[in-house]
Amino acid sequence: MSLMINKNYDEVSKTWKIQLDGEVDIYTAGKLKETFIKMLEEKKESIKIDAGKLEYIDSTGLGVLIGVLKKLKEENKNIIFLNIKPNIKKLLNITGLDKIFIIEG
Amino acid sequence: MNNKSKDLIKLSVPNKPEYVGVIRLTVTGIANRMGFDIEKMEDIKVAISEACTNAITHGICQEENNFSIEFLSDEEKLVISVSDNGKGCLSQNIKPPVLEDPREGGLGVFIIRSLMDEVEILSNNGKGTIIKMTKYVGDDI
Repeated sequence: MSLMINKNYDEVSKTWKIQLDGEVDIYTAGKLKETFIKMLEEKKESIKIDAGKLEYIDSTGLGVLIGVLKKLKEENKNIIFLNIKPNIKKLLNITGLDKIFIIEG
Repeated sequence: MNNKSKDLIKLSVPNKPEYVGVIRLTVTGIANRMGFDIEKMEDIKVAISEACTNAITHGICQEENNFSIEFLSDEEKLVISVSDNGKGCLSQNIKPPVLEDPREGGLGVFIIRSLMDEVEILSNNGKGTIIKMTKYVGDDI
């Protein structure tokens, strides 16, 4: 199982939209981090993550997201999760990260 | 199969990130056979991944080395031990996450403790770390 990343920038809402499909763990977190770094180099805007097809994420993936959020917060930007699955919601709850990311739907 | 007996499965896994996904599939198979519900299987999957990630990250970082996993099951519980042969770590130094200053690392053991019913971390300086974690099939005891 791997990770597929689909990203595009929405000029109208000035947000990044990124779709994650698969699993984020120690094997795939590096790829996710590189993608985010490139996005922020291009435009430092809020990121909407469509997690409808994100089956799994662990602390390595959450660590990447925390790092990205720290950079975004310098500009008062956010990370917004959409369509999050219950198992991932649970992980965000127990780590308290549901309070620092925005979770919609 | 005699239900009263304990079953032991031992794995030796290469210190390579690409095998953590294989371990998740393996433990899903074991937990499913034991009758865990889906939520508990997810908990076990995340916990064992975190333990493997720790073993790969903090164990001896030579890729030709392996770390080992033992699954000991009986009718009421699954006990998983993940052992590396790294330097060992100070488990008492692991703190819960601080939201005002979220860190990019150090969440793994906190997550394991939250998801499993019993967790023991045995760390011998120079002899590596063993993370031993238990999940009960029925309601938490």
